[in-house]
Amino acid sequence: MTHPSHPVPERRRLLQAAAALGAGALLPGLAAAQGGAKKFAGVTLNVSTFSAAYPKLLQQWLPEFEAATGAKVNFDAPSFPVYNQRADLELSTRGSAYDVVNVTFIYSSRWINSGWLTPLDDFIRNPNLTPADWDINDFLPGARAPETGRDGKLYGVPWTAEALLTASSRFDLVEKAGLAFPDTTDDLVKVLRAVNKKERVAGFVADNHYGWTFVPYLHAFGGDVFRKAPDDLFPTLDTPEAIAAGEYYANLLKEFGPDGAITYQPDQVTQALKLGRVNFTDAGQLHLAQLGDPATSKTIKTVKFGLVPKGPAGRFPGTAVHGLGIPAGSKNKEAAWAFIQWALSKQTTGRAVAAGYGSPARRSDIESAVFRDKQVINGSDLAKLSLESIELAAKTGHMKYRTVAVYPQVDQQLNKAIELIASGQLSAKQAFQQAQANTIAELKRAGARL
Amino acid sequence: MAHALSADGWQAERRRAFLLGLSPSLAVLLLITLVPAAALVIASFTPLSLTDPAATFRFDDPLVNYRQLLHDDRFLHSIAVQLKLSASSVLLQLGVGLGLALLLNGKSRLLDGARTAFLIPMVLPPIVVALIWKIMYTPDVSPIHRALEAAGWPLRSLIADPDTALWAISLADTWQWFPFTMLMVLASLQMIPDEPIEAATLEGANRWQLLRHIVFPYIRPVLVVCGLFRLIDSFKAFPLIYVLTNGGPGSVTEVTNYYGFIQAFNFSYWGYASAIATVLLAGVFALSWAVGKLGWSDHDKR
Repeated sequence: MTHPSHPVPERRRLLQAAAALGAGALLPGLAAAQGGAKKFAGVTLNVSTFSAAYPKLLQQWLPEFEAATGAKVNFDAPSFPVYNQRADLELSTRGSAYDVVNVTFIYSSRWINSGWLTPLDDFIRNPNLTPADWDINDFLPGARAPETGRDGKLYGVPWTAEALLTASSRFDLVEKAGLAFPDTTDDLVKVLRAVNKKERVAGFVADNHYGWTFVPYLHAFGGDVFRKAPDDLFPTLDTPEAIAAGEYYANLLKEFGPDGAITYQPDQVTQALKLGRVNFTDAGQLHLAQLGDPATSKTIKTVKFGLVPKGPAGRFPGTAVHGLGIPAGSKNKEAAWAFIQWALSKQTTGRAVAAGYGSPARRSDIESAVFRDKQVINGSDLAKLSLESIELAAKTGHMKYRTVAVYPQVDQQLNKAIELIASGQLSAKQAFQQAQANTIAELKRAGARL
Repeated sequence: MAHALSADGWQAERRRAFLLGLSPSLAVLLLITLVPAAALVIASFTPLSLTDPAATFRFDDPLVNYRQLLHDDRFLHSIAVQLKLSASSVLLQLGVGLGLALLLNGKSRLLDGARTAFLIPMVLPPIVVALIWKIMYTPDVSPIHRALEAAGWPLRSLIADPDTALWAISLADTWQWFPFTMLMVLASLQMIPDEPIEAATLEGANRWQLLRHIVFPYIRPVLVVCGLFRLIDSFKAFPLIYVLTNGGPGSVTEVTNYYGFIQAFNFSYWGYASAIATVLLAGVFALSWAVGKLGWSDHDKR
């Protein structure tokens, strides 16, 4: 106690008051409802998501929520697989360990339709709990769709909506060849033939998680993973369309890929495009946004983005959506809703976008000037492309394949099939027939009715 | 007589007292080492799966996982891959470690420095080693690939080629672990007395004969121990495979350990993964026993 102790608490109190005031402004509904008293004093909320940019921002701003509501929040954000395993186990036992969870895209159908989450419609409709300007309809319909159950109720509020897009890091080479940005799968091959190995730039590479990067092509060729997910999970990997798509995609890697193309992981792909070693890829928008970083990207002046190519059956961009939901077993549902409402209020999401957050799910954020400025890279508007992709996905429903519980097993089979073809171990037909047989075995083992 | 009896009684009492004093720590030790292992074995008798909580602890068909293992081609294939990887990497490590130890066995500051430098790979965290080799094996950024290309011998990516991927991993593993053999052999080389070597030299023995008949018998037990240690460790190969090939291309580098990891962490089949781990454990025990018996009994005969 060598320093003067008196002024410190006073300043702290002042800061607390200021924070409470600031947070109160962010929580109009709560401020009105509480009438000055802290509504959730004494409540401890356990929140868990996987570690990502948005949860990290929320963790920083937590004290404001706590000051405004009086609730104490434990916010745990482990890595993606760890989070999913924990949450899956906890939800399946209807435990009350968590009050707010991330509704993970690949588990959404399972978690929602098993009744493990709380429907949010009543909270949203109740003017005492949710202010009118909170506006659930501001969240993209395409992002709300995977958070909606078969009963039509909403079980999660999306905080991220990301799309798989096509990028060309050296579009100048394409222009020099007199060609345009490839719109179809045929165009893509034509363009790659023209630019492959020009100025020592390889034509195409993709993250070797082919269960994600290849599927838009599978759909484009008229194939699919299942007969009709999530109701009919009979795999359809040995159809002529699927085999043709596999042949096409593996050939992109074989003919136009850099040496060792099938070993590329997402960060390597981003790096290769940033350095201009590889021209084309299909990758998630968050990875592609890094190509606009003037400090590390050598291709910022030549890069161009577009939708994933259209095939004989149409265009089917991959999308991924994550939302915040309330477990059915939570004992603090009202406080949990107050948290979600705060975490995804226009003020909070707007603040996140201003802080550089790259994949918001609110239309008002996506259309805001602040966001647009950051998303336009060398004339290509990533935000617009992503919005278009998410709307397409909402219309066709082709992403449903990804939300079934057994997808991880099928995902592996797709990774392997493309690797086997691209490394010359099997023909496309053999590889996809093998994937089909293995998938059926895996599904039966998982207890799926085929 | 009475005196002797009481002395015996005292001895027995003392032993009992020691045992009593030791028993708490023994119990804790047993608990720490055996309980997790027992949990693994017990889990292997259940269909425990995170996606099916109802099946958590059901013992109605305890051998279901083991029966399934017998028909699981991917598992059987992973054993073959494991044996190839273990045999090649352990032999390479013993060869390189022994060779370098013989070269570096001497007293000079240069050799001292070289010995220290060669130890570096062994003290690096495995994930760092994996990242180093990821760079080495990525033609785009690899100094090796670039040098070879500049010299006019371009080399295709080793980890993307199904014919070379496993050997590439074996090489990286050897790079990390040859220093272990080198260190152990160096220590035992320094224990060899000078007399027999001097005597043999006077008799006109050449360097090869010295190595074959005098040095080698001295260091053989150490080599056996090194081989055993490395063999056991080679079954745990994980970071290199995870970072370099992810078990691919296809499944040419999918070792049993890695397959168990996929079953548990990608598919949530904890019971099945436990069965794989149990089989692996039994296999390592059996192999170590066989190798140990081979090496030591041969030595004891001398």
